[in-house]
Amino acid sequence: MIGLGHYLLLSGIVFSVGIVGVVTSRNVLKVLLSLELLLAASNLVFVAFSKFNGDYAGQLIVFFVILVAAAEVAIGLAIIVLMYRRLATIQADELKEMKW
Amino acid sequence: MPALFFYLFAVLLVLASLAVILARNPLYNVLALVVAIFALSSLFVLLEAFFVGIILILVYAGAVLVFFLFVVMCLNLNAAVLTSVQQSRFRLLGGVVGLMFASSFFLATKSFIAAQAMGPSSVRGTIETIGRILFTDYLLPFELTSLLLLIAVFGIVSLAQGVLSTGKEKGN
Repeated sequence: MIGLGHYLLLSGIVFSVGIVGVVTSRNVLKVLLSLELLLAASNLVFVAFSKFNGDYAGQLIVFFVILVAAAEVAIGLAIIVLMYRRLATIQADELKEMKW
Repeated sequence: MPALFFYLFAVLLVLASLAVILARNPLYNVLALVVAIFALSSLFVLLEAFFVGIILILVYAGAVLVFFLFVVMCLNLNAAVLTSVQQSRFRLLGGVVGLMFASSFFLATKSFIAAQAMGPSSVRGTIETIGRILFTDYLLPFELTSLLLLIAVFGIVSLAQGVLSTGKEKGN
């Protein structure tokens, strides 16, 4: 019998993998992909709670999260393309102009 | 039988998400995320959230990840750029943070697994039920997302204008 806990644990594992990806990778494309993993893990929690609590609100929030993630990815990839044109690299450490 | 499918797609999801952060070629990272999204969508169907599962495949695998692939191929990264990116100073820190997150999630959900207090409800996320709630209770947030997408379009156009104007300066 698969209960709520199984889904929460699975989502926790995926979230941890995503956190490791965000912290360790210097490739900005990979950071963006790991952020997608974090969003996917939280979506799974919302849908699981929606099923086990009997409330549709969780699925609607997932719908809105997908919409916002699409906008976020579009802007993030535009920034990455700009960064590659200006600096000829996709390494996060090379962005030094905002540092002081 | 649902338990078998749950474990199948759960293992697939974890393996694909590991491939997302471990594969060296950015192309494989993106394709691994496509597999992860399909596994996640299958889990949504197991949870009877049909509409959200289909939207996930349409929007993520259909639009967002194709956009990722397009950018990866458009940048045309050569081997020198890719190998210079691989080494990270934060590998140990990342492992520690990941283990901390995973153990805290495990401790938090252990009681849920043991208790089995809540059984699954009769919630079925079909297009009819989701659509009815979306256009009654959640109408205002739904309309506001169109504003958000409009703002995102403005942002991308202004970013692209920067590229065009710098290109002109170089040309002159």
